[in-house]
Amino acid sequence: MGLFHRLGSRLFLMGVLSSFAAQGAGAEEIVFKDQENREVRLAKAAERIVSIVIPMASTVIALDGSTKKLVGMNPTAKSAVVEGILGKIFPEAKDIPSDVTAPNFVPNVEALTATSPDLVIQWGGRGNDIVAPITNAGLTAMLILYGTEELTRDYMAMASKALGKPERITQLVEWRDRVQKDIEAKAASIPEDKRPSVLYLGRALSDISASGTKGSYNAWYIELVGGKNASAELNGTVSVNKEQIAQWDPEVIFLNAFEAKLNVDWVYSDPVLSLTKAAKNKRVYKMPLGGYRWDPPNQESPLSWMWTANLIQPGVFNYDVRAEMKAAYKTLYNYELTEADIDGILWVKEQGDATYYDQFRAK
Amino acid sequence: MIGLDDATVRFGSRTIIDDLSFSVRVGRTLAILGPNGRGKTTTLKAMLGFQRLDAGRRVAPEIVGYVPQTGASNQQRHRALDIAVMGRAAHLGLFGQPRASDFEIARSALERTGAARFANHFFDRLSGGERQLVLLARAIATGSQVLVLDEPAAALDLHNQERLLRLLNILREPRNKAIVFTTHDPNHALTAADEALLMMPDGQPLHGPVSEMITPQNLDRLYGVPMRVVELAGPDGCTHHAVLPAFAGIRAA
Amino acid sequence: MAVVVQEQDARSVRIALARQTLVFGLLLLLFITAFIVSLCVGRFSVPAGRALELVWIGITDPARELTNIDERIVLLVRAPRVVLAALAGAGLAVSGAALQGVFRNPLVSPDILGISQGAAFGGALGIMLGIWGLPLIAMVFVFGLTALILVGLLSRINGRTETVTVILSGLVISSMFSAVVSLLQFIADPNTSLPAIVYWLMGSFATSTWQRTLIAAPGLIFGSLILWMLRFRLNILSLDEAEARSLGANTTRERWLVFGMIAIIVGSQVAVSGIIGWVGIVIPHAARLLVGHDHRALLPASVVLGAGFMVIIDTLARTATAAEIPLGVITALVGAPIFAVLLRNHYRERSAA
Repeated sequence: MGLFHRLGSRLFLMGVLSSFAAQGAGAEEIVFKDQENREVRLAKAAERIVSIVIPMASTVIALDGSTKKLVGMNPTAKSAVVEGILGKIFPEAKDIPSDVTAPNFVPNVEALTATSPDLVIQWGGRGNDIVAPITNAGLTAMLILYGTEELTRDYMAMASKALGKPERITQLVEWRDRVQKDIEAKAASIPEDKRPSVLYLGRALSDISASGTKGSYNAWYIELVGGKNASAELNGTVSVNKEQIAQWDPEVIFLNAFEAKLNVDWVYSDPVLSLTKAAKNKRVYKMPLGGYRWDPPNQESPLSWMWTANLIQPGVFNYDVRAEMKAAYKTLYNYELTEADIDGILWVKEQGDATYYDQFRAK
Repeated sequence: MIGLDDATVRFGSRTIIDDLSFSVRVGRTLAILGPNGRGKTTTLKAMLGFQRLDAGRRVAPEIVGYVPQTGASNQQRHRALDIAVMGRAAHLGLFGQPRASDFEIARSALERTGAARFANHFFDRLSGGERQLVLLARAIATGSQVLVLDEPAAALDLHNQERLLRLLNILREPRNKAIVFTTHDPNHALTAADEALLMMPDGQPLHGPVSEMITPQNLDRLYGVPMRVVELAGPDGCTHHAVLPAFAGIRAA
Repeated sequence: MAVVVQEQDARSVRIALARQTLVFGLLLLLFITAFIVSLCVGRFSVPAGRALELVWIGITDPARELTNIDERIVLLVRAPRVVLAALAGAGLAVSGAALQGVFRNPLVSPDILGISQGAAFGGALGIMLGIWGLPLIAMVFVFGLTALILVGLLSRINGRTETVTVILSGLVISSMFSAVVSLLQFIADPNTSLPAIVYWLMGSFATSTWQRTLIAAPGLIFGSLILWMLRFRLNILSLDEAEARSLGANTTRERWLVFGMIAIIVGSQVAVSGIIGWVGIVIPHAARLLVGHDHRALLPASVVLGAGFMVIIDTLARTATAAEIPLGVITALVGAPIFAVLLRNHYRERSAA
């Protein structure tokens, strides 16, 4: 039934095997190339990791299965962790320092050094100014790039390797791969005219932002599950106006999980947006907020794809998302999700009336 | 009437004006004489109320027709008539706009100063002398009984000085205004003023009728240059006085 | 001889008057054309005839319930936006013209008093705190006014305010507020509030609704109206300090009245559409070239030209591409070269005179 269930038993086996190897491997030097093609050299598996990158904080927790190795994170990541389900699963997370960096990824070297990290995860491709302070302080940095599923798998694998738990990532990547292939196989038969246009709004409250297809993770999984990116003509993530949205007239609208005050009423109460096909057919959904926000790539992405797939192509996909979530959270965080937890993550109370949302209610 | 009453102005420890009192009645013209740096301008500013007094007070009507030095006024692109009509501002209030009657007053003021012929020209395109006539017309258009001119002849060539002095005499003639001007040339006082205020070097200005003030002794002290006052017979038979400086020690005959 | 001079004079007056009338006629035509065209174009295609028909229906039957999407787009999205852009452009231009008058300096713009930066701080803070809608607008306005009051307190020395101290105080307060805005950007959430702040700082009418337009309109109209009523007084205030005072102006008090009106205008504008640069400096310059320095002609010309310019710029911003182009980008791209040309012509003419 669940894609993760089969995985679970295999994992157990691998865990047992790796624990035999652990002692030997732990003492060995770990060397790999990061996504800026820099050599990262660790004398032994990293015990103390700081993630300046926002979504990687929860990924590190997931990779380790605990918060023990995360010794510092971005304040924005911390608010997501503390306010989301991870705050409930790992109440001790609230004590992890977040003064190691400004939200805009400029490290605070003194606070950073004070956490004596073995490894600092930082964004690549954003210039040396946010990297140099880390390396100048004699700390080891691992640079990662944002955007695609490939990059995500790759940097998750690196982090896993750095943690000295390469087997952990194998299981997560295998899960991603399995879900992705399953979706691709089912979506392949969907004819072009049965693929609805889907608009993902990365921001809505101050100004409205949408993304072109190239380099957008959201557009990638919209197309993966058999949708069409309504804002494909854009270049990168830019501001758009409501008139433009009306012109696109999307059949499905996804609202981001970043803006806490944003909910589907924002669309339904708008004089123009409420006349789009998506609004008229009640196919407006806010992205769930789980261990991390489901919009960008993270350790829970396959759940995000399945949820999206069920909503965009309800005739093709019927994943038991609640069951998948339970299995995934057990593996990722060793946590038994309650029905109420799931309702909260999926906003069942807020958008339970939306079309095709009945499937996500507890049976 | 305009004047100062026991006025004192100090800049730091320096006393520029010390306990100065004088006044000019309507119908009289006062020339404030003295070399540069003796407080002519400070006295003028004090009379106009632009200079804070450390002691004493100024006596002046609410609106004084003030003619700044040519060049001090800014160079915006206004028609001469529009400059002149600004003299009506005090009568129009904060939100008021000049009406036809105000333009009429401005136009007749331009006529009095002989500036009517370039009433519609742009101010910044006029010569220095012409601008001064426009600014004088603006001062007249205020309707004030007092006119104060700051160094009106300073930037003028001899021909224009002659025209200006003639104009000041024309304005003096009806005896319905108190006129004050500053100058460093005693001949201007002799030609166009009834009274003179001499800014003496010891800090005690002398004030009195021109005939009593413009004497070789006073002028020697005032300028530190030997001076002679000569009498010249005019073509009409009247006697005119003229002051001649003795530069480089050469005494004029 | 004298008669000839007078006749020539009368002719030149008539020519000047005809020129003035023509200039105002053309400016009005430009504005009205821009306004109508702007209502007819947009990313959502509504035929121009249909758009005009909808506008007519909107005017004649304002209480009508709007059910169709084209009705709502034209009457609820475009119309308030175009009206707001016109009002904001007019307000900024007239503020700039008045301010350049009282400072006797053609290079000052409304930002010089620190109002824009103060307002920007209010807005950035509001966005950081997650405040939206009316409270945000109120906050922007209050901080714009606060900046002006701070400049006032700082520049008042021995009970008097000199122009140069106002400019310097404005600079100080502006720098302070922009530093704090930078600080807010530094600590803002890069996923949500930071892009919002950055976008807002670049200025936009994209979020215009009738509600926002009606919030900003009273301040914009009231401030502009008072400045227009002061048009002759502005001629006086633009003279030398001593001259202005000798003509009966209480320069300090009246200047602050002008500043206050500008704060109301700029505060209202920034509150609903962010920081929009260049309009307050380029438009008065262009208007001055067209109608001269007399504020009685300069202010109305600035109003019409500013409104037309802003409508055109905003129409470009919302129609040129599928993405909204930030206004600040276009006003700078269009404004800076125009300004350079104006400045060169201005000084060439002056040195020739």
